Amino acid sequence: MRRYEVFLKKDGRDEFRHAGSLDAPDDELALVLARESYARRAEGDRLWLVNREHVILGDPEFIAPNADKPHRHNDGKAIAEHRRNVREDGS
Amino acid sequence: MGRTWTSMDDFEAFLDGGGIVEVDDDMPDAYRQAVFAFIEMHANSELMGGLTERDWIPRTPGLRHKMAVLAKTQDEIGHAHLLYMVGADLTVKTRPGMLEDLFAGRSKFHNVFHYQAKTWGDQVAISFLVDAAALASQQAVFKNCSYGPYRRILKRIISEEGFHMRMGEERMLRIAAGTEMQRTMFQQSLDDWWWPALQLFGPDTRPGDVLLRWHIKSERNEVLRASWVQKFVPLLMSYGFTIPDPGLTHDPAADTWTSGPIDWEPLKRTLAMGGPDSARRIADAAANWADTHWVRRVLDDAPTRAAGTAA
Repeated sequence: MRRYEVFLKKDGRDEFRHAGSLDAPDDELALVLARESYARRAEGDRLWLVNREHVILGDPEFIAPNADKPHRHNDGKAIAEHRRNVREDGS
Repeated sequence: MGRTWTSMDDFEAFLDGGGIVEVDDDMPDAYRQAVFAFIEMHANSELMGGLTERDWIPRTPGLRHKMAVLAKTQDEIGHAHLLYMVGADLTVKTRPGMLEDLFAGRSKFHNVFHYQAKTWGDQVAISFLVDAAALASQQAVFKNCSYGPYRRILKRIISEEGFHMRMGEERMLRIAAGTEMQRTMFQQSLDDWWWPALQLFGPDTRPGDVLLRWHIKSERNEVLRASWVQKFVPLLMSYGFTIPDPGLTHDPAADTWTSGPIDWEPLKRTLAMGGPDSARRIADAAANWADTHWVRRVLDDAPTRAAGTAA
């Protein structure tokens, strides 16, 4: 038995989303089981199956450094202040 | 791989702040055991429910309802399948290990599946009252459950349980408008299933219950039970049926219904596998597992091949 991760995509606007997992002896049966377990009522029209052994993990510790990079954002405060000053001067 | 917590206090503060635990987090063992036991019982109940539903496929009246029962059987078995995967990932037991424990009578499943559905009226009472009770308790878990994989899979399960409950109410509506014989049959089913359905919620939640403290559940049993009574008493009475509870009281000012004293002995017996139909149900499920052994063997021995390629 292999363990697969199941991803479903609903329509053109949505991205693929993780739906769950399943055990199957091979890819062909995994597809059938995925359809019958996760897409009985048109929950998606496209299906991705990934053998769990092939999933490469990035854990929270690996991603954490990027949570502290304020220079990658702009909160717009400087511009808002400038526009407010212009409005107030003009009135 | 995932997150770690330095102490139980640290972990509980994370949960109290609305934190969601993922499968690869280093969760405290007590939490792992509690969430696993809860999921395992849910999975077992879906499977036992699915097997009962299957027994009713040939006996369901009318093609439309027969097809709906077929679909419901597939849903329940599917729910069990999804839940066993989520349970297995907690690595407390393997997926086959959970099934073996169930068929050997070593693990729990909901009280209502320890009783026998004898008539079509019973099936209607189950799909209406019991499914509604199960749905209400699942919704209370889904709303705020701290274990991410379970919460996400519940979303799918709940949407399908909604179909079952509406189908049950539609059947009850038809029976209520039926002949005197049909109405008598359903009243008998109501007499038999009212209390087991009500007891599905369990006794009052104890102070310090870990399922509540760790945000696995988000509502107390007695609150869910009371709101179920509040909903179903007036509904069943509006169809002209009698609630088999002599202690039932109505507060006309607030228009609220409160059930009388509850005898918890039947629930305790089912939890000890001593319910009226426990032995037959478990033996039946075990026989089904043995009968389908050849399918699993064929799958295990199948030559591996990729999709879309020649065998």
